[in-house]
Amino acid sequence: MELHQVRYFVALCRTLNFTRAATECNVTQPALTRAIQKLEEELGGALLYRDRGMTQLTPLGRITLPHLSGMLAAAATARRVADEALGRQQMHLRVGLGPAISAARVADVVGRLARHCPTLDVHFEEGTTPGLVEAMLGDALDCALLPDADLPERLHRWRLCEECCVVLLPAAHRLAARDTLTAADLEGETLLVGQRCGGFALRMIEAGDASFTVRRCGGSWVQMLDLVAAGLGVALLPDALVIGPGLVSRPLVAPELRRGVALTVVAGRPQGTAVAQFVKLCRARAFAPA
Amino acid sequence: MPSPKLADKLAAQRATMSEELRLAYENSVAEMLAIGAGTTALGLGDRFPDIVLPNAEGDLIAIADLLALGPVVVTFFRGIWCPYCRLMLDALVVALPEIEAAGARLVGVTPETGGLALTTKRNHGAAFEVLCDVDCGLGLDCGVVFRTPASYRALLLKHGRDLAPRHGNESWFMPLPSVFVLDRSGIVRWRFFTTDFSEQAEPDDIIAALRALGR
Repeated sequence: MELHQVRYFVALCRTLNFTRAATECNVTQPALTRAIQKLEEELGGALLYRDRGMTQLTPLGRITLPHLSGMLAAAATARRVADEALGRQQMHLRVGLGPAISAARVADVVGRLARHCPTLDVHFEEGTTPGLVEAMLGDALDCALLPDADLPERLHRWRLCEECCVVLLPAAHRLAARDTLTAADLEGETLLVGQRCGGFALRMIEAGDASFTVRRCGGSWVQMLDLVAAGLGVALLPDALVIGPGLVSRPLVAPELRRGVALTVVAGRPQGTAVAQFVKLCRARAFAPA
Repeated sequence: MPSPKLADKLAAQRATMSEELRLAYENSVAEMLAIGAGTTALGLGDRFPDIVLPNAEGDLIAIADLLALGPVVVTFFRGIWCPYCRLMLDALVVALPEIEAAGARLVGVTPETGGLALTTKRNHGAAFEVLCDVDCGLGLDCGVVFRTPASYRALLLKHGRDLAPRHGNESWFMPLPSVFVLDRSGIVRWRFFTTDFSEQAEPDDIIAALRALGR
């Protein structure tokens, strides 16, 4: 398979018109037609119906298009970065951070990207999953790190890591001396429950293994940690978060609560070079569990 | 006693194939030939694409930066699940000092994501770059990527080798074994390409090609 064949095919899918696709690709129409035929031979079937005046994708064409355009985009990204790093163009990366997901997760990746793109501007935005999905759909964000349960179909997602639930306590708390904790150990404690804190507290309450006093708190995991330090209650948060002095983190072993964290982008949306390369860097590597 | 040639080791590995695997393999190779695989790869005199890809350690590597240091050998792997690729990796680890003595850098390219490039390096003690070709973009650019024939795909799945999580996409495209020797201006001066994934370039031939670049 050759890059130009895929390029012509993707252009043809966009225009659904051989003449316009040929113009867009700067080739003659017979050359474009031949390239598409060769691609069809290789993929083992017609990719397009060619009725008089009407060009339509076949089922094979529809299935194949996202794969081929993904590959084409990957090839273009690899080449563009080489160009743009020389051209010193301004580059942008806007990353959404879902509930109880810290920028520390990807800070190292951003650092490595910036070494290659010195003019990179980085913007992080914390929010709830629905809020961040809306921001991505509205092109206010390029990508987001989200808990990977119940994500909308329109998002491409790649699971980066799995996180476990830990209990966060003031260092002076009676349970701080324990190595691990269970729901029963927390019986009678005040649980802090927030909208943007990862949902572990609600899952624990729903499990019904013990009874707690619930204190609702708005804000993000950062504010929740401040409340724990001030003695307002204990928090259930992912193990990956870095906590400040005065707090301790103890694994919750029963029930064992976990969640996956995925990198998400809007499917089919063209990406800027820095964004595409950020996604590649994230996908290429393994993320330590914590 | 000299160590056996890579070709002999590959033949020994091929001989261990089950009947079922052998049939699927032969069908797959025949299908590749029928669709003209191998006619699209970069040829001698072609310029290798000027690209940037993540390496196993998570940094972005520009092929131009490697070429600035001398000739580059680029070799595409299907992944560490592939026994023929593993034999090739071992052979390249042995050949690396001679490749470097010829003034060249060796670069492996894998379509596998999620840290498998690093696993590949560690498993084989490979002291050369292994680049992660996410979504096979470089493979496409070099004309070495093909869609896995359905029968072979089914067999891989049956044996627990689902490429989708390994590649981070559902497309089932993969590179065929290929090696490109680039001179310092990035021009392909020697290449190996086969539609038979149980074959690999012989490291001695790569070293000879590097020496033929001169100086």
